[in-house]
Amino acid sequence: MSTFHLPDLGEGLQDAEIVAWHVAEGDHVVADEPLLAVETEKAVVEIPSPRSGYIKRLLGKPHERVKVGAPIVEFDDAPHADTGTVVGDLSVTRAAPALPAVAAVPRAAVRPSLRAEVSPAVRALARQRGVDLAAVVGTGPGGAISRADVERAVAAAQPAGEPVALRGMRRSMAVNMAKAHAEVVPATVWDEADVEPWWNEQTDVTGRLIRAVAAGCAAQPILNSWYDGKAMTLRTFAHIDLGVAVDLEGGLIVPVLRDVGNKPAAVVRGDLDKLKAAVRARSVPVADLLNPTMTLSNFGMIAGRQAALVVVPPQVAIVGTGKIARYAVPTSAGPAFRHKLPISITFDHRAVTGGEVSRFLKAMIDDLEKET
Amino acid sequence: MPETTMIQAINLALARAMSEDERVIVLGEDIGVDGGVFRATDGLFARFGPERVRDTPLAEAGIGGISIGLAAGGFKPVAEIQFTGFIYPLIDQIANHASRFRTRTRGRLLCPMVVRSPCGGGIHAPEHHSESPEAMFTNIPGLRVIVPSSPRRAYGLLLAAIRGSDPVVFMEPTRLYRGAREEMTDDGAALPVDRCFVLREGSDVTLVAWGAMVPEALATATEWDAKGVSAEVIDVATLKPLDAETIINSVKTTGRCIVVHEAPLTGGFGGEIAARVAEGAFTSLLAPVQRVAGYDTVMPLPRLEDIYLPNAARIGHAVERAMAYA
Amino acid sequence: MAQSTIAAAFEVGYVRYLDETGKLLAPLPDDLQQPTPLVALYRALVRTRTFDAKAGALQRTGRLGTYASSLGQEAVSVGAASAMRPEDVLIPSFREHGAQLWRGASPTELFLYWGGDERGNSFANAPYDFPNCVPVGSHAPHAAGLALTMKLRKEPRAVVCIFGDGATSKGDVYEGMNFAGVWKLPVVFVVSNNQWAISVPLKQQTAAQTLAQKAIAAGIPGGQVDGNDVIAVRACAQAALARARNGDGPSVIEAVTYRLGDHTTADDASRYRADSEVSPHWQREPIRRLHQYLLAAGHWTKDDDDRLLREINAEIDLAAEAYLKTAPADPASVFDYTYAELPPDLLAQKLAALDELSAQTREAAE
Repeated sequence: MSTFHLPDLGEGLQDAEIVAWHVAEGDHVVADEPLLAVETEKAVVEIPSPRSGYIKRLLGKPHERVKVGAPIVEFDDAPHADTGTVVGDLSVTRAAPALPAVAAVPRAAVRPSLRAEVSPAVRALARQRGVDLAAVVGTGPGGAISRADVERAVAAAQPAGEPVALRGMRRSMAVNMAKAHAEVVPATVWDEADVEPWWNEQTDVTGRLIRAVAAGCAAQPILNSWYDGKAMTLRTFAHIDLGVAVDLEGGLIVPVLRDVGNKPAAVVRGDLDKLKAAVRARSVPVADLLNPTMTLSNFGMIAGRQAALVVVPPQVAIVGTGKIARYAVPTSAGPAFRHKLPISITFDHRAVTGGEVSRFLKAMIDDLEKET
Repeated sequence: MPETTMIQAINLALARAMSEDERVIVLGEDIGVDGGVFRATDGLFARFGPERVRDTPLAEAGIGGISIGLAAGGFKPVAEIQFTGFIYPLIDQIANHASRFRTRTRGRLLCPMVVRSPCGGGIHAPEHHSESPEAMFTNIPGLRVIVPSSPRRAYGLLLAAIRGSDPVVFMEPTRLYRGAREEMTDDGAALPVDRCFVLREGSDVTLVAWGAMVPEALATATEWDAKGVSAEVIDVATLKPLDAETIINSVKTTGRCIVVHEAPLTGGFGGEIAARVAEGAFTSLLAPVQRVAGYDTVMPLPRLEDIYLPNAARIGHAVERAMAYA
Repeated sequence: MAQSTIAAAFEVGYVRYLDETGKLLAPLPDDLQQPTPLVALYRALVRTRTFDAKAGALQRTGRLGTYASSLGQEAVSVGAASAMRPEDVLIPSFREHGAQLWRGASPTELFLYWGGDERGNSFANAPYDFPNCVPVGSHAPHAAGLALTMKLRKEPRAVVCIFGDGATSKGDVYEGMNFAGVWKLPVVFVVSNNQWAISVPLKQQTAAQTLAQKAIAAGIPGGQVDGNDVIAVRACAQAALARARNGDGPSVIEAVTYRLGDHTTADDASRYRADSEVSPHWQREPIRRLHQYLLAAGHWTKDDDDRLLREINAEIDLAAEAYLKTAPADPASVFDYTYAELPPDLLAQKLAALDELSAQTREAAE
């Protein structure tokens, strides 16, 4: 039976008032268990359950009058679902908490960190990229330095412009200068020659310079040598194959004039012009670039007075001449104005002494100060 | 294929273990006639009888001690402790005895027992029925501590635990008993009990969890996928012995690690994992290792329970903090 | 054959005043000769059951958490509590609602507890009583310890500790009884033997013929009482409390009753217990028999029934309404009672938790 009706209460009673229910919908009840208390004129009567089972519906509220025979309880005949537990509810799904909104809470003051916050991975990256973290501004939480911050620092340290690979003359220069720097022990001596007697704008200075270098070599041949640093041998040459530095857009080229000490000036001049033309035409034979015994760099043609130039091994000396300029010079007759030619000689002090260079220099100056 | 719930998976594993090895005995309060208050042992009493499926008196320490005697005497007891809120009396039996038998006797006496117990909150249960005491057990040498997060893993890990010869504490999240369901077959295949499971691969952050927090972590990962953050989710499963290598390798890729557990923060197992990550993946760390855990308070009664339990939203806030470290 | 003498023997008595039909079997105790106190007992029984039914109804409609009904066991709780003085202390398990109500816990407080709110343990009117003890039997040693404080301070107070038949299998319970016995502590252990520990019937719980005899193992007096006879329970408790206050030590009272309902609202006892076994126990239940006695003795009329039911139902309904209207406690309270003073890191957690809660509430609304 699914529906329980109010049983006959006896004594001709037709109805009763529900005083209280003892069970709830969903309850498991057994036979004879009191379901509700009803009041008649005579008594408050407990109505026992006719059967065991589960209460589906209670059909009446406290204080309502129910007729004898009227349905008061529906039992649930469907199979009872097993909760599968003795506590709680296994079917609870986690919805957002329905709790009262909480007013903003003041936070405890946070002590500022004295060190930049850097995670281990970022620190490793900075080390690898050569970035000094002390100089980096962090944009991460709490001023933490991020990987992007490090990369930005790397980019900022570099000048603008795309790096271009060196080629040709510049590449050779880079290679040779690095090599020179590694081997040679350079020292430089400076002086000036008074060229007032012969110099004017049209004079061929290069010719006189070459003649002066030859004069120096005649006085002090040791500057016209090759030094082998490994074998520690010095080879002094009788002939002078003079490399003459030529500035060219795109770099520096040093064609070699052969045996300048033994050729007349005009021939030397002619050889030089031929070489310069070839250089401009970019058709210098390789043979004419090889094996200078010494080098002359008339760097002063444009600007610059003194220079400590680079001795390219196995050479032991390079003569540099700067811009001829007019100087005020004290004389016994008062100040005079003379044109001077600055001379710089950089030498490899492994092979050549300062005294030797001085004597070379003196010979050069003496030759340069001759009127013709 | 119909889906299997975690409680059904556990039931299947127990039935299989009992049928393949007659040394397996199941004991505990209400596990026989009633089939266990959560129905983990449903049907076993009818199938295997009262000698092997034993309703015990109400005595947790006694259940622990009796299991030790059974195990040392050649049986394989699988004891149910009705709730982890009542497992504490067993700490004496487990720490002082079960976990030490092998080493004290140099292998002469073993203690191949499994203690199963429902753990965790989220089912609106009364006091003491929502505990997460796994960390206490991880500090006991010689003990294996397992917390499954899915029906298939509960099945495979429980089978491995029963077949093995080490004492095991196997804590089952009540919230997942019916809350977790998936297709699986009763094929008797065990899972390794010394390995973490990578459930989801990712490259931006590693979420490490166990038990009922695994579905929360997976939900977080799905949510953040839509925001362009790729989260790797690791189910530790076997807390002890810990497969730290899997976690460390993951953090070496992601650089960010968040451990999630229901148990209170301080002294929780998340601290162990954080230490291992710091040791093994230090130079890969972009962000501090975070732990999203229960607070250092008693689990509140149901009305305030939701404040306490970590959920996908709280994990998500931790992901946000971790991702701020670029 | 060895010479054998009796080293010790024991007997366990069984006490009752009213039989199942409400017939008086022995003269009433002196202090129950007048109707007033008897009616008070009856009223308390009805109030307990009405509260119980309401709690069940609230649970079924999702407005209360899991609840452990005391259906059929009201006389044990009411009987024991009615023998106590206000300054005595009650240490209950989780099924002694009748004792808590007698001692002044409001129905609203009890609804709050079972509704999942710690404020339900406030016990404004019984500030020394312990809250429910859920891990079975683990409160027995507490009772011994608290009784010791009373002994040390030479106070004429006693502890009443109530637990079930299942609890007597716990080591804690024996340890509590043993401490109480050897130190002669003013504690009364009441075993509310309802025959069932969830699905485990008494005969599977222990081989002991009675639970009272476990007292004898601890060297203390133990006896059985008809747990459905509130007069008998009260009388036994009074005697035991008098002993305790006199410095004569502890006792164990085994109140034999029956669990007429399920273990909890989530349990379904028909899985392991035939309904047909339960039905006959309705004939022995405590309210009916005292009702019969009162009617037969002329102390109670139909109008009294009517008035009492309406009054109590109204009271309980109001209490339920008050409970339902009570908003959840401030989330901060999850943290504030952890320590005497909130340590800094826990304060930080609290702030973080409140922030998180605000954020989630906001996000859920979006």
